[in-house]
Amino acid sequence: MFELLGAALLGILQAKYLIPLAVGTFVGVIGGSLPGVTITMTVIVVLPFTFGLDPLQGLAAMTGVYVGGSAGGLVTAILLGIPGTPSAIATTFDGHPLARRGEPGRAIWIGVWASFFGGLLGGVFLIAATGPLAQFALQFGPWEFFALFLFALSMVAGLVEASLLKGLIAGALGCVVKVLGNDPVMGQERLTLGLDVLEGGVDFLPVLIGVFAFSQIMGEVERAGGARRFAEAVDRTVSLAVSQLRVLAEVVSRPLLVLWCSFIGVVIGVLPAIGGSAANMIAYDQAKKFSRRPQAFGTGTPEGIIASESANNANVGGSLVTIMAFGIPGDAVTAVMLGALTIHGIQSGPLFIMQNAKLAYGIFAAYILAHFVMVVVLALSARFMLRVVTVPKAALFPVVLVLCAVGAYALNNTMSNVYMLFAFGVLGYLMVKYGFPLAPFILGVILGDQIEINLVRAIMTDSNPLLFFTRPISGALIVLSVASVVFAAWQHRRHHGRLAAAGGGETDF
Amino acid sequence: MSRDGVAGLVVLAASLVLFALTLDLKDSPLVPIGPGFYPRIVLGVTAALAALLVAADVLAMRRRGAAAASAPQKGNRALVAVSFGVFALYAVAMPWLGFRIATFLFVGGLNALLDPPRGLRGWGRAAVLALATTLLAWYVFERWLLVLLPRGRWTDF
Repeated sequence: MFELLGAALLGILQAKYLIPLAVGTFVGVIGGSLPGVTITMTVIVVLPFTFGLDPLQGLAAMTGVYVGGSAGGLVTAILLGIPGTPSAIATTFDGHPLARRGEPGRAIWIGVWASFFGGLLGGVFLIAATGPLAQFALQFGPWEFFALFLFALSMVAGLVEASLLKGLIAGALGCVVKVLGNDPVMGQERLTLGLDVLEGGVDFLPVLIGVFAFSQIMGEVERAGGARRFAEAVDRTVSLAVSQLRVLAEVVSRPLLVLWCSFIGVVIGVLPAIGGSAANMIAYDQAKKFSRRPQAFGTGTPEGIIASESANNANVGGSLVTIMAFGIPGDAVTAVMLGALTIHGIQSGPLFIMQNAKLAYGIFAAYILAHFVMVVVLALSARFMLRVVTVPKAALFPVVLVLCAVGAYALNNTMSNVYMLFAFGVLGYLMVKYGFPLAPFILGVILGDQIEINLVRAIMTDSNPLLFFTRPISGALIVLSVASVVFAAWQHRRHHGRLAAAGGGETDF
Repeated sequence: MSRDGVAGLVVLAASLVLFALTLDLKDSPLVPIGPGFYPRIVLGVTAALAALLVAADVLAMRRRGAAAASAPQKGNRALVAVSFGVFALYAVAMPWLGFRIATFLFVGGLNALLDPPRGLRGWGRAAVLALATTLLAWYVFERWLLVLLPRGRWTDF
């Protein structure tokens, strides 16, 4: 393992990998620092640029975006009090007060070093856990894979903040998208509705790009119009100078805090579709509960920044584990990375690390190196970020939409993917407007084929349906699926009960 | 009926129509399970969930009273509709005008729509943005990444 990792680290230091990694990290930091532009949108924008690269170059660029974006959100969170990404929300609680007290440099660099160490701890888990988990998944037959995918879908549907019923419908709708056009088992045409664009089925990348990019951009257009900037007034004279040794010591002198919050980030990253936005809030809450001075939280204490930033970067490592070991994307960013793998003809899942060891260890190496690059990028560009946030949205949105169109078109050089992009863009916007969560929908689109293939394979191998329940792993996963839905139903009911008791909230369940 | 109920009805109707279409799918002689087996399960589950959403909405409406049915929505929905329209035009025009002309018109048009330019300078800025985006995208994708972008049937450009 260490030999492979060492070789991969040396390999990734070559200019042909280092340049895409550095550019991806830089773009990620910018995307992460722009309020209203998520890491998902940034990675979608970068995706078409990776088509002409070799798989590791493309994945290095995307890993850079993911790591850079997870850290980039802290710049505006601290300096402007506006989190660049949802995963930096908790950073504003103490980062911005510390900056307003006249220590913006200290606040920024505590966040950067916490991101760095949290991310590296996430990397340790990524490298140590992916292989054994993939080995475990190799014992799976079609029954277990069917149950695993069902479990992932039920958990995502249950964990979303919207109503459980809408989460389940969104997941089911994602599966419906994949039954259109093509039977993945026999390749037989079905349910094309007389539309040429549906022949051969629906590619998941135009769906993913359309749903996420349009819902976000059109949501912004609806709320604020296009004339507004990400931030109107920015003090560009602010000094970010700070003693790096002192700040580094502030982070390193709290090893338990960094370890605990990184652990929280990793665990949440492993669970599909929860993501950094929950990781930073839960870690912040935990840090406050375990602190000797909980009353200092919210006033500019370094612990608050460390908790939030170490968790959201460790979360990236956790998300990558699920996709590399099981082929299940932990969040939308890894879903795009899954798409990039598919474009290069690489099948993710338990066999990935064995059949593509060089590529897998290349991703590990890119992930580790991205943290060093991220520190350098932020050191050189934190002040530049203050200018970037004054870019008008009216200028940015058309450019992003052009890149989305090119990304969809370049998948197989046909306009039908651009039409799909548009159709699913409208659907994504309407889903958000009507309160349907996008995460289970996308997971349904990604896993729909695999659920069908494994269900049919299982039945064709042995038509006894009880095997889904009597095989130990499959049975346990099905029990967990039911339990996750029941638990989510109980949680939603309790939440709405409390709202009603507090004065009549809307019952959404 | 609130928006949840309306959404539930739309999903229910769509899944039932698709379910009916699966009944026409013929089983393959090679495998015991035909191409309609899984779609029927998925569409059946979707229809059942949508029916539950409609029922939950009707029950909630009775509890809350019809008056609280739907709060007026804030936001510029007209601008969203026009923005979608502009993108649809872009997608339709691209094979006819070619990537470069269509992209120039799209970026300039959407930029002007979202932030109407004031004076000649404003229009100049929109034109520069459109031109720079078009040339940069064309150069990077077509020349560097070797993605053959659409040529226009009318313009051959």
